[in-house]
Amino acid sequence: MDSKKILIVDDNADIRLGMHLRLKANQYETFFAADAFAAVAEARKHRPDLVILDLGLPAGDGFTVMERLKQVPFLAVIPVIVVSARDGLGNQKRAHEAGAKAFLQKPVNDAELLAVIRQALGEPAGTKKPTLYDQGSV
Amino acid sequence: MKEKALQVLVVEDNAGDVRLLREMFKGEKQGSFELTHLLRMSEAEVHLAKGGVDITLLDMGLPDGHGLETVQRAHAAAPNVPLIVLTGLDDEALAAEAMTQGAQDYMIKGQIESRALPRALRHAIERHRMQTETDLIRTHQMEFKDEFLSHVSHELRSPLTAVRQFVSILLDGLAGELNAEQRQYLEIVLRNVKQLHSMINDLFEVSGVQAGKLKIELQCTSVSDALGYAINTLQGAAEAKGIILSSDIEDKLPSVCADPARVRQILIILVDNAIKFTPQHGTVKIHTRILEEDPAFLLLEVSDSGCGIDPDKTERIFERLFQASDPDAADHNGLGLGLYICKDLVTRQGGRIWAKSVQGQGSVFSVTLPICSLPALLAPAFREERHTERPITVVVTEIGSQTGWLSDQVRTDQCRSIRELLRGTLYSDLDILLPKMDAAGPGELFFIAAITDGIGGEAICNRIRRQLDSSERLRQAGLTHSTSYRSLEPIRQNLTESKEAFLEKVATNIQELVNEEILARQVRNG
Repeated sequence: MDSKKILIVDDNADIRLGMHLRLKANQYETFFAADAFAAVAEARKHRPDLVILDLGLPAGDGFTVMERLKQVPFLAVIPVIVVSARDGLGNQKRAHEAGAKAFLQKPVNDAELLAVIRQALGEPAGTKKPTLYDQGSV
Repeated sequence: MKEKALQVLVVEDNAGDVRLLREMFKGEKQGSFELTHLLRMSEAEVHLAKGGVDITLLDMGLPDGHGLETVQRAHAAAPNVPLIVLTGLDDEALAAEAMTQGAQDYMIKGQIESRALPRALRHAIERHRMQTETDLIRTHQMEFKDEFLSHVSHELRSPLTAVRQFVSILLDGLAGELNAEQRQYLEIVLRNVKQLHSMINDLFEVSGVQAGKLKIELQCTSVSDALGYAINTLQGAAEAKGIILSSDIEDKLPSVCADPARVRQILIILVDNAIKFTPQHGTVKIHTRILEEDPAFLLLEVSDSGCGIDPDKTERIFERLFQASDPDAADHNGLGLGLYICKDLVTRQGGRIWAKSVQGQGSVFSVTLPICSLPALLAPAFREERHTERPITVVVTEIGSQTGWLSDQVRTDQCRSIRELLRGTLYSDLDILLPKMDAAGPGELFFIAAITDGIGGEAICNRIRRQLDSSERLRQAGLTHSTSYRSLEPIRQNLTESKEAFLEKVATNIQELVNEEILARQVRNG
């Protein structure tokens, strides 16, 4: 079976690499974008199964990215998970209104992120390698 | 340039004293002082609320006000107007106490030198101005600090995410097998990352506390659920220190009127603290029961067998950034914000928090939260600031359990329920209320209740009606709700309705107001 494709959008290169390592270990294929413009371009190019999206980005923020994805029919259907360091209250609501499947606050718990990804992709829970040291929220 | 005359309000019922005071200003330059003289406190409140007064000279013995109460009322009507209390020789102690209630100074009648009075007034005004300026600067500094804290905590989260990600990647063996020592060291890193994360969250929360932005959504909340969550979350930390964490909950505990997420947060802070300050192999217990002194509240107690708190500090520990200076406590790392946040959350949900401790023998932290009931749900709505851009809302109701219309109804529960709601939240003294209403902004809400236990209910209600009618400003502002059994005309005409129906109507009215209030607050909280 082909592995699912995930586009990671974050302006912090370390976070992109960290997510890539974690996702690769769970048999996902990853692509990257570091700003809002590249996010839409990469989404067009790779047609990912899911987008992990930071909110604070150069060249427009995460909300702009969601808006632009919505304007293209084949991109509009891609589930988006927002992962942000921003305050959860207002942004969480706004992200859901913009169509995000989930809102996770940084520093994100990898176990939770994987669970949310599986759910958004409609995969059964527990089919992937669990993380050993990331159980429970900090 | 011509200097503006200082507006002096003299509230004094003794004509002789007033004459004497006027004399004292005779030596001053024409137009430098303008005196307004009023005889009664109620008139003074109206005058003060209108604005334009530079300083008040207040006698503490008036026909409709006496002692410290007059100072409080004057201060409430115009908090920014400096106040000098006039007193007799035998009342000097009281006058000195008035200074703790907002008076700038006091003067003893018969001992005031004529030249000294105008000078004292100018000094009082100047002192007050400097005080106000200092307060303002302090407020701005606090605001800046909170903004800064909020920004910093946000910026710290991203690098912390990367640290956490890579440590857990290494620990999960995604970059190769680790030996036991490497694993142990990385676990230390991860533990510290978690510590740092909780500090950042505290910083973020505390900037919200200061800005009054913490969101609280009151609803019927199960304490047992919150307790289960807190124990689950912290069991690991307790076990790591060999601490026995237990809870002892009475069967069938009533729900509390609180925000479930905030109750969990309160318990986590308290239990986490208890674990931190308890040595290895100690105990931490959580006990819940209905508060004996006031059965409208549930009591939660977190007790530990830890190092205890210096008895002088059991109140100070709830202050912002308070840290135990005990050198033994050096490893109990934290920012000193947890209990401060906790206190804010408890207070804003209508409860109380306190600590008792014997040094070396452990501490007990107690929290009360209102049990879910109509009054508990309603009370905060009458405490919070009101929405604007709506007419003044006035609810007038008459309540009596011993006499009057409720006496033959054994509706004591409902009556108690409404009384409970009103306690501490209503204005029943029209002398205080009317000036406040006159000065109120649009959308403010007032609840007037005539408690008619005993005699005189009818008279009180008539007085309320007369006074409300006398205010042009109130008539223009419009009263969106005004309900009463006897005191207002529309209801008077409708005496055919049963008492039960009326009670129902009052309850519905209150419920509507509260729903609006809660909705408005949710909108404000985003």
